[in-house]
Amino acid sequence: MRSVGIVGIGHTKFGKSEVPFMDMVCDAALQAMDDAGAKTGRNNVIDQVFVGTMGAGMVNRISGTASAVVDTLNIRPAMAETVENGPASGASAIKLGFMAIASGMCDCVLIIGAEGMRAVTGWEGTDFVATMLHPESEYKYGATLPAFAGMFTRLCMDKYGLESKDLSIVSVKNHANACKNPCAHIHSRVVLERITNPAYINATNPIVADPLRQFDMCPVSDGAAAVLLVAEDKKDALGFGDKKFVKIAGMGSATDTHVVANREVPSDLLAVRLSAKMAYEMAGVGPEDIDVAELHDAFQILEIAESEEVGFFKRGEGHLAARNGETALTGKKPVNTSGGLKAKGHPLGATGVSQVVELVRQLRGEAGERQVEGAKTGLAVNFGGFGNNVVSTVLTTK
Amino acid sequence: MEMEQMYTYKCTKCGKLHHPRYIVCQNPDCDGREFEKIPLEGKCRLLTWTRVYNLPEGYMCPWLNFGIVEFENGVRATGQIGFDEGIESGMELIATVGIVKEKTILYKETVVAPQHGFIFQKA
Repeated sequence: MRSVGIVGIGHTKFGKSEVPFMDMVCDAALQAMDDAGAKTGRNNVIDQVFVGTMGAGMVNRISGTASAVVDTLNIRPAMAETVENGPASGASAIKLGFMAIASGMCDCVLIIGAEGMRAVTGWEGTDFVATMLHPESEYKYGATLPAFAGMFTRLCMDKYGLESKDLSIVSVKNHANACKNPCAHIHSRVVLERITNPAYINATNPIVADPLRQFDMCPVSDGAAAVLLVAEDKKDALGFGDKKFVKIAGMGSATDTHVVANREVPSDLLAVRLSAKMAYEMAGVGPEDIDVAELHDAFQILEIAESEEVGFFKRGEGHLAARNGETALTGKKPVNTSGGLKAKGHPLGATGVSQVVELVRQLRGEAGERQVEGAKTGLAVNFGGFGNNVVSTVLTTK
Repeated sequence: MEMEQMYTYKCTKCGKLHHPRYIVCQNPDCDGREFEKIPLEGKCRLLTWTRVYNLPEGYMCPWLNFGIVEFENGVRATGQIGFDEGIESGMELIATVGIVKEKTILYKETVVAPQHGFIFQKA
């Protein structure tokens, strides 16, 4: 299989977009192309574009996004496909780009992940996201992703002794990291006592989906991120010879039951475990080799559970590691240095690409104040549905 | 009345019970595609629950309670919980069937088509 790596990255400021959806998408794309030195028009070398987005058609009334991007950027006749895999659309788009190059069909692929969620009202957005649930046994009841995260959290609390404060500890950490990330949606330092003190917790941190509170889940964000993939054996010939090459060492993806109630062990995230295992095996590494990780913390419970399922900590001990600061920027296993979905934001289709952009910054040594010293190998986990479709990626500069 | 009854779906080849309806039997050692409908009702145990305050479009109430239950035959299901006080994981409940959504929103159309589903009540 051909070696595939990243030579360009782009990332818009997450939050409420001030520009139309397609401008946001193209902004991220051009940042990645400029970072790599890729040209448009007659000098274009991009064979293929994949755009990962969950709701551009439903929310923004723009379908066929990838076809529109290729034309707008003047990189015709590059192949173009739009990829929809729920909140894992971004990492799925990267996986397809990786496969396209590894197979020999393409040499250079542009990946963009994007979502314009703030184009609709909060409850329309909540409904849109909930459409990924099972239509007959979940969605029709009015159940939402926060509902399933709440029920999952209660199972973990009952089984492992996890407390509400543990979720807040993860939240505080990720908000602190986001303050060091110019692209993050929220730049507010959060004080643990302010969101956990029983005297005023219901005012500062109200319950949204019991036992989950406002600071236990991500905001609603617009945003786009992009990466430019190239075959290592064509890197010089395509004009990227002087660019830092961050290798995609391994990718894995796995699925689980669509109906959450039908999981064999409802407190497990089986697809996370299987996809990470696949990515580790392809890369020839294990969890002990990961220097920095971006884990899909749409809800803070997921960062804790995923940190266990990918093998960083024993099952049921992820919250203890968070309490001990092991996942902090200066900890033994830094997680979500970008601020995570919690504070960097979670524009669904953009998230999987954004996670990889953060890892590239870390592995290039370009993460500024949030740089993990000596980071050489990173892991990203992008989580679709309520864990029924997960994509994991291992990047390395070794 | 058909809409007001919830069912488990028994594979006619291997006997595995399913909820909700599937096209192919979920037993990894079976390829059955025929199912017998059996009413799913009665006692069940609450595995986990939540109370949600940010409901999606179409729900004009301040909150809803949701739970995942396990029936005595081992089948699990998600549904609404029809009471507010004293909800606890592990408690015994009775599965009833009622209207769980007053109307379904379709793009640029509103179709008044009540949805029936599980509403779990105190045993």
